[in-house]
Amino acid sequence: MKDVYILSVETSCDETSIAIVKNGCEVVALTILTQMDTHAEFGGVVPEIASRMHTENITMVLEETLNKAHMGVEDVDAIAVTYSPGLLGSLLVGIEFAKVLSYVYHKPLIKVNHLIGHIYANKIDNKLKFPTLALVISGGHTELIKMTGDYKFELLGETQDDAIGEAFDKVARVIGLKYPGGPNIEKLAREGQNSYKLPLVANDGSYNFSYSGLKSAVINLVNNERQKGNEINKADLACSFQTAAVDELKRKLELALKKTNIKNVVIAGGVSANKYLRGEIYTLCQKYDAELNLPEFIYCTDNAAMIGAAAYPLYLKKDFADLELNALSTSDIV
Amino acid sequence: MNLFIDTHLNDVVIILEKNGKIIRKKEIQNEKENSRIIMPIIKDVIDDDAIDSIIVVNGPGSFTGVRLGVTIAKTLAYTMDIPIRTITSLECIAISTDKSQKIVSLSDKNGHYIGIFDNEYNLIGNYEYLSNKEFDEYKENYDIIHDIPLNYIKIINYTLKKESVNPHRVNPIYVKKLDVEK
Repeated sequence: MKDVYILSVETSCDETSIAIVKNGCEVVALTILTQMDTHAEFGGVVPEIASRMHTENITMVLEETLNKAHMGVEDVDAIAVTYSPGLLGSLLVGIEFAKVLSYVYHKPLIKVNHLIGHIYANKIDNKLKFPTLALVISGGHTELIKMTGDYKFELLGETQDDAIGEAFDKVARVIGLKYPGGPNIEKLAREGQNSYKLPLVANDGSYNFSYSGLKSAVINLVNNERQKGNEINKADLACSFQTAAVDELKRKLELALKKTNIKNVVIAGGVSANKYLRGEIYTLCQKYDAELNLPEFIYCTDNAAMIGAAAYPLYLKKDFADLELNALSTSDIV
Repeated sequence: MNLFIDTHLNDVVIILEKNGKIIRKKEIQNEKENSRIIMPIIKDVIDDDAIDSIIVVNGPGSFTGVRLGVTIAKTLAYTMDIPIRTITSLECIAISTDKSQKIVSLSDKNGHYIGIFDNEYNLIGNYEYLSNKEFDEYKENYDIIHDIPLNYIKIINYTLKKESVNPHRVNPIYVKKLDVEK
């Protein structure tokens, strides 16, 4: 069969990224321009500034990607773009840009869900095997999904309140850590002990998650100690919180490993970059003789290569979008 | 043939122009979902014709509106390898009036963009954004031109005399400060 090259575009948050991916699994070229330093000045991502920077940089990111690949847009078979979920203004820049490429070069346009992109990051270098359990963990999502094939998703459980990444960010703010909160908690936790008693989330025997109780417990603990005039050991609190947050994931994943007897696990989403979490999930998978597939670190955070990987099965199905494609700020995988 | 793209408000105007004549023009007013309609309209207006250059209104106006038009325009120019020129929304108004004193304004729901131009349509000073209250005071002392019909042929002719810009460097102008910048 002829090789398929997809040029993919990702602008859902604060990274302007364009890739060329061959056959959904081989990255020919990838450029990621992060705006993190700019947003750090404001203590978090400012949506309007993110959108502005995408428009400023996107044609240059394209040029760099084409140069790296020694290809032109005319050489690819399709244009793929993230259309949801994400910041509306940011998504729109990528979508309009992708539409122009599709129009000028007469290439089919493929719309890709960002979260499915994170799952398919595991397809790069052919690591996604079915059936698999997929743990999607990010600032907006905490979902446990069963996949029996390409784009065959079954939702086993999801968060009933906060997403795990949201809880990390809120706790980071309460204990006075800077943006980005999640990575800073992980860093600080390495210096601490799991010494604070935080409540276990009520286990209802389902695959669903909950993070608001844990988050509130940390906030209450900090407030109580401050009122008493006691110093908080931030590193210990970061470690205790991180341990409890990851334990919640492990409980549900363990339940699924037992009940489904599936032997493949993937983790996807921004929180999957957390090394402590990776280690814990890895150990759990070993216990059940299951194989944990992790994308390379560069494909864990937002990037266009995963969008190209996720677009490939849609290309084969000829599941194409048209020039009326619009952005959606929220959406679910299943 | 020159393609003119104006999406700086909720109204979208796309024109194909040649030798001072409008070949095709599409105008949609008060569109809520610009992103759904702009590219299909551009495709219809271009039809099968070859484009020699692009003109885009790069603001000020609706942040998202301007950004969509500019992103599309710079990507078209870059990929088609043709010249691109920009014109501001306030220049468009100044060019479309015969009055010699040209203080022009463009309103959004919270205030007004203001520009002062000489007879050659050169901007005097900088663009400013006034709150409704500031604008009411300003209005008492000056004759301000706003809400006039635009003369697209004149706008296009004027813009074509400008230097073209590297597509990478074509960006919206926003004028209004963001809350985080204040």
